[in-house]
Parts: sequence; structure tokens; C-alpha cells
Amino acid sequence: MAARLLLRSAVQAAVTRRASPAVALSRRDGGIPTDEEQATGLEKKIMNAMKTGTDPYNILKPKEYAGSKSDPHLVPSITNKRIIGCVCEEDNTAVVWFWLHEGEAQRCPSCGSHYKLVPHELPH
Amino acid sequence: MAHQAHAYHMVDPSPWPLTGAIAALLMTSGLAVWFHFHSTTLMTLGLILLLLTMHQWWRDIIREGTFQGHHTPPVQKGLRYGMILFITSEVFFFLGFFWAFYHSSLAPTPELGGCWPPTGITPLDPFEVPLLNTAVLLASGVTVTWTHHSIMEGERKQAIQSLTLTILLGLYFTALQAMEYYEAPFTIADGVYGSTFFVATGFHGLHVIIGSTFLAVCLLRQIQYHFTSEHHFGFEAAAWYWHFVDVVWLFLYVSIYWWGS
Repeated sequence: MAARLLLRSAVQAAVTRRASPAVALSRRDGGIPTDEEQATGLEKKIMNAMKTGTDPYNILKPKEYAGSKSDPHLVPSITNKRIIGCVCEEDNTAVVWFWLHEGEAQRCPSCGSHYKLVPHELPH
Repeated sequence: MAHQAHAYHMVDPSPWPLTGAIAALLMTSGLAVWFHFHSTTLMTLGLILLLLTMHQWWRDIIREGTFQGHHTPPVQKGLRYGMILFITSEVFFFLGFFWAFYHSSLAPTPELGGCWPPTGITPLDPFEVPLLNTAVLLASGVTVTWTHHSIMEGERKQAIQSLTLTILLGLYFTALQAMEYYEAPFTIADGVYGSTFFVATGFHGLHVIIGSTFLAVCLLRQIQYHFTSEHHFGFEAAAWYWHFVDVVWLFLYVSIYWWGS
């Protein structure tokens, strides 16, 4: 009995699939909403920001910089200073901590990498 | 007005962890009271509190995610990790019972007659109802996958139909298994065979009921338009759990029903 039920639903599925257009649309009007239509709150804000290429909530991995004078690490901050923890060489266990203030780029007291504070808009 | 610069969800204070802990306390101590003083009041109270806690806690999560939009991509990632870790812990739970089964069945003691199945035990024929149960659960795995693809492709009617079918198959399994339990020629008290059989299949049956309930909640949510074609993690979690239940059955079937006969 179960086999007959399954067979019937499998046939129905196969028929339906052939009948509908095999287009990769995000909305087929099959009755299920999309995030575009129904996302709300913070999820919606993030979705819209991602579309413009911005990352106000720092979800993406920070960009990589050389750390030299001409290509300093750019550090976003919502205030005028931020703590930096520099792992000078890979696998170092002693992290070098210091405050980075707005203005001219500062250098790590241990390895000399350049860091520059850049203002980051606080999402509101 | 979000004043955070991160995408995580700092949850509002909630009473449900406390009520859940109290429920656990009442159920365990209630179990002991039942054993020694023949009263089920405390345990029943704990059970009611547990059900209320689960209902209200998960309702709050749905409110926070679906209606308030707190389940951003990083939050969803955390929920995925959480469900995977939980299912992993359940795998280890069942591993214990399989260990017990193999410990007793690979080297059957003289008290059992030095053989497996033990002397006097007539095991169930693996090619009768247990085989049907296997087909039922495998089919339900297909139908739940169908549901997932329907949701992703925006097909509301198919999603509802295939999810309903999945739940019906789950209920069919439970009914068949209940009948098998009633008709079985051996009981849990029949030595280590009875213990390993009913504890392992019994906990599996409980997980089938839990999984069916989870899927039923997803069905109600799908009908009420909670899921979008991109964001439907509640359903994915239920589907993962259901596949896990199916896999456990396959191991039970091969080990206990088939090899063990």
C-alpha cells in the first residue's frame, strides 16, 4: 500500500517537474515568498547592504594588506581609537596589543607593520 | 533601531532556561518518588512544565527569527553548528546501545546457551514487518528531500504535499512498530536479548516520534508562509534530524533484526 502511494506521488512529481519551466528564477510564483519579499529586521538590512557591496556589520573577512607604509592595514572603527592585537609572525603566541588612534598610521612596536584607523559608520 | 556593529543576536532575558531546568529536576526526582512512594504527581508536573517550556522557548525563537529578522547569516551559521553538534551527541547516545548489543551478542554466555539469539528466543522475521518499516523510512527520506527542493524552488503546494506525506510515513512506521511490540513473542524482561532489543528500538521509536513532531511543526510553519525559498533553516534542521533517524534504523535493522536473528 505504501509502495503504491509512493509510486503515485513519484509519478506526480515527475509529471509536474516536466510541465513547469526549468528556469533558475528566484521567484516562480509557486506561492513561497523570497527573502527579497519577506526578510525583515537586521537580516533585511544586511541583505540590502550586501547588495550595494558594503559590510556595515563586519560579516566578511577583513581585507589583507601588506602592512607597509604605502599599504598599511586599514582598521575600521566606530570611535576614534581601537585596540590592535598584532600576531607579528604566523603561530606567534605572544600577541602585541596596543591602541590605534585616528590620524597618522602607527607601527607595531614589535614587527613594525603599519596600521591606520579609518572611520566606520555605526549602523543605525 | 539596532545600535550594534555586529550581526550577532544578543538574546533578551528569558525565563525558559530556568523553567526547563526546573522541569528536569521535577522529572528526575519525580521518577525516584514514583519508584519509592508510588506517586506520579511530581513527575507529571515536571513533564507538563517541560512541554510548556519547549512550546514557549521554540515559539520565541520563531518570533525572533521569522518575525523580527534576528537570524542573520552568522546567526544561522551558529544554529547549523548547533544542530550538527546535537545530532552528533545523539549518534554517540545510540553508539552506546549498539556497543551493548554487540558486547552481548558476539560472545553469548553459557547462560544464554552459548548462542545468539539465545535459547528460547524466537526473533522477529527480518523480512516481514521490519523490512516494510525499512522501506517506509527510506521512502520518507525521499519525500522530505522532495519537500526541500520544493521549498527552494518556490513550489508551495508540492512542499506541503510532500511534507504531509513524509509525516504520514513517519506515523505509519510508528503504528507498525507499536503493533510489532504488542505482537512480539518476547519482552524486555527476556534476558539481555530483550533488554538490548527494546531499549535500542524503543529509543529509536521515541526519536521517530520526536522527528515526526518536528516535521509537523515545520508543516504548520510552511502553511503559514514562515519559510522563504532561501531561508528555511528550521525545516533543514528537521530534515537533518529525520535523515539521522532513518540511518539509525538502518543500523538497527542490519545489526539487531537481520544479523541478530
